[in-house]
Amino acid sequence: MLKICKTLNHTLMPPCQAACPLRMEIREYVDLIAQGRVMEALQVIREGNPFPSICAFVCTHPCEDACRRRQVDKPIAIRALKRFAVEFGGDRMVRPEVESIHEEKVAIVGSGPAGLSAAYYLRKLGYPVTIFEAYSELGGMLRVGIPKYRLPREILDIEVQRLIQMGVEIRTNTPVISLDLLFEMGYKAVFVTVGAHQGLRLGIQGEDSPGIVDGATFLREVNLGLKPSIGEKIVIVGGGNVAIDAARTALRLGAKEVKILYRRSQAEMPADPSEVEQAIEEGIEILFLVTPTKIEGTEGQLKITCIRMELGEPDASGRRRPVPIKDSEFSIRADTVIIAIGQAPQIPEDFRLRIGRGSVIRVDPVTLTTNREGVFAGGDAVTGPATVVQALATGRQAAFRIDDYLQHRYPLVDRSERQALMGELLPKTIEMIRKLTRFEPAVLPPQERTKEFESVELVYDWQSAVNEARRCLRCGMGAEILSQDKCATCLTCLRICPYHVPYLDDSGIIQIPADQCQACGICVAECPAKVIVLRKPQDRRHIDEELEHILKSAAQSKLKPLIIGFCCQYGLYGTGILASLWRGARAGVWIVPVLCIAKLETPHILRAFEMGAEGVFIAGCGQEQCAREDTAFWALQRIEKARKILGQIGLEPERLQAFNLYAPEEDPTMALDKFTERIGELYLARALKQEVRA
Amino acid sequence: MIVAEQKPLEEIRKLIAPYGKILILGCGTCMTVCNAGGEREVSLLHSALRLAQSRDGGEIHSFQEYTVKRQCDFDFLEVLVDRVKEKEERGPSPPPPLSGEGRVDAILSLGCGVGVQTVAERFPDTPVLPGVNTSFMGASKEWGVWDERCAACGDCRLAETAGICPITRCVKGILNGPCAGAKNGKCEANKDMDCAWALIYKRLERLGQLEKMRRYYPPRNFRTIPRPRRLVSKSEVPGGSHG
Repeated sequence: MLKICKTLNHTLMPPCQAACPLRMEIREYVDLIAQGRVMEALQVIREGNPFPSICAFVCTHPCEDACRRRQVDKPIAIRALKRFAVEFGGDRMVRPEVESIHEEKVAIVGSGPAGLSAAYYLRKLGYPVTIFEAYSELGGMLRVGIPKYRLPREILDIEVQRLIQMGVEIRTNTPVISLDLLFEMGYKAVFVTVGAHQGLRLGIQGEDSPGIVDGATFLREVNLGLKPSIGEKIVIVGGGNVAIDAARTALRLGAKEVKILYRRSQAEMPADPSEVEQAIEEGIEILFLVTPTKIEGTEGQLKITCIRMELGEPDASGRRRPVPIKDSEFSIRADTVIIAIGQAPQIPEDFRLRIGRGSVIRVDPVTLTTNREGVFAGGDAVTGPATVVQALATGRQAAFRIDDYLQHRYPLVDRSERQALMGELLPKTIEMIRKLTRFEPAVLPPQERTKEFESVELVYDWQSAVNEARRCLRCGMGAEILSQDKCATCLTCLRICPYHVPYLDDSGIIQIPADQCQACGICVAECPAKVIVLRKPQDRRHIDEELEHILKSAAQSKLKPLIIGFCCQYGLYGTGILASLWRGARAGVWIVPVLCIAKLETPHILRAFEMGAEGVFIAGCGQEQCAREDTAFWALQRIEKARKILGQIGLEPERLQAFNLYAPEEDPTMALDKFTERIGELYLARALKQEVRA
Repeated sequence: MIVAEQKPLEEIRKLIAPYGKILILGCGTCMTVCNAGGEREVSLLHSALRLAQSRDGGEIHSFQEYTVKRQCDFDFLEVLVDRVKEKEERGPSPPPPLSGEGRVDAILSLGCGVGVQTVAERFPDTPVLPGVNTSFMGASKEWGVWDERCAACGDCRLAETAGICPITRCVKGILNGPCAGAKNGKCEANKDMDCAWALIYKRLERLGQLEKMRRYYPPRNFRTIPRPRRLVSKSEVPGGSHG
């Protein structure tokens, strides 16, 4: 049984991971941050994301939208935590290892996130890769679309530098006009990822007047270092992220008055709500339910005639269709009008690729193949304007499909995907989950940030990051009954679960629904048949293994008296209060890291004493501080049980102590000092007694 | 369900003192449910015994642990044959040394009294020691608390006493209560304990059957129960291979 136990990974894919186009192991790295193990967290992040530092700044975090803590209070700040891991984990030092295995050259047309991602993975697969970029610098929309205050350019430069170090050949200022030429040059496969840079038109009178520019062009000019003169009064049309970016950029270029016209209401706005909020903070005015009908140039200014709208029936996108209100026209004046109502790709005709609706390249969604052999396509050029993380995912997909194509394999579509966790939390579970405030990363004050293109959001400090990560509900890694056959249906789990998760089904069998369990581990230790386990293999024998490891080291050191401490590794215990102990600063005191003291069992304590410990202490949260319910109560239950056994054997129960590391009345280090002193006395007294006897 | 509690550690240590290799045998049914001898208690007792002997200096005993689904049926005990390795099962030649692998000197059973006896019957050459005190038949009130409910008297009268057993729940076990010691619905023997007859009265009132209180129940003759009892539920029919 134990063998199966150790290897079978029954964890379900949490909703955050299922929502991420890159399927990143979010739950795992958040858990590592909660333990303060930030370098390991970064390792997990890097395994699933070619450019974590970019995502850490600009990801639209669909994971947070799917986070189930939303049902309790607010979702985990996953993107901000990623940024913390990237900055504190030393991402800049990482050098990916590559080996050239194949000879088939691959060309990538376009260096946006999809192209860079494909280059990264193709290089890792061992192919020679060349990126062709029309502009002078790499990055595509990351460079020419996203403003600097959202993505500092040095971050992008570091990632580009890393690609160069990996051996990716780069040709900037090289627009590709014909794919045939690339094949003639010896490339065996081509990945077309030219993005969607062509601004859509409103289709109104006067749209071509001077002083009107589209959002993508405006942002590109600014981002490539040109300083377009835009005047003082700016009007932006649109409600997406480009509109918000253009507005905030205009403000940073010195505009005095920036207005956004959006034809629906705030609820329908596709832009990131936090960006919208920051824009409003900076003094940008958003006119909702307004659309321009005509633009006229008068006296060096533009006169925009607008009409007010109301929301009608839902349209194909599910959003309510805006309908003009009769006779509600009004006009506003502006020096520059920026139209940011969307973009479409512009694919050169000589590529001879089949184009679909919205001027996008038509591809097979699984293989990313186009109508031409050896030509693959992805990114905004295929989907229309989308997100960075989607582009990165497509780039990775393209790399693997190109590899399949070049190695003459059937596409190996990922079949090993784990079952995803479904279902919402039940109201009775939600009620019992502790409400914990979301820690928002600090942002620069609005007055300061509009002066320049400095990054607006600041990185977490250590404590906020760890506390934020501790809020994670660890969806899908909870408890399960390993063998219903061994279960005695004693109802212990049903009675002690703080969240009322286990229930008796109609046939009298205990069920622990995976979508409700909070993975606190209390029932695992209390199950009298030892038949409940945590779904994650590493969680199962974690304490056993750590304890044996520590006991082995302690036996070698031979220092007396030996004291074993079981300490919670979540929160700041590992780095804060007990930091000196973790590093073995006090002779004879050895720490066994546990992931919450509720997972500690009485035999662990007895085992420490058996192996020669003179004293054992347990350190963790009190009743109030743990992110989970009842953990301290159950730890104390087991400690009392162990104390009773110690008494029966003739050992002083005071050899076993519990410390609340948050206790306000006593400094835990002082209490610990007292404890070690007392153990020292007990040890001496016993040694003396033995000597007298001898 | 049968409820029991583990014997004090000292007593268990005295019981196992003469033996070297000991098999701690748990029971996966009642003893698991009442936290006296399930797989978890087996491993806890194992840890405690190992700790105790480590503190007394030196290894006297070696332990194995195993938990069967039910100790009170021979069939569940068959898996132990290899571990116990009694004389007749050891094979003719060569005889393994006394301390040979798998042989045990004694079985410490954490089953109820029924389990201990069944194990003893199955392994006639191996001493079987009781690790728990079998207490009563009862129900669990809440997590970690059990109450006695049935005395197995073999003559159930619960229909007349509103589903509350006076034999078990009245200190005196009287059939015509309450006695004069009942005060405010509590028992004179223990002020925190409900008087069983007061409970019976209240429930009969609820059921509209108070006339049952007025009847007189003659004393029972416990001597008519022949011990040990045996129950036969099958009929005497010729043939079949289970006879």
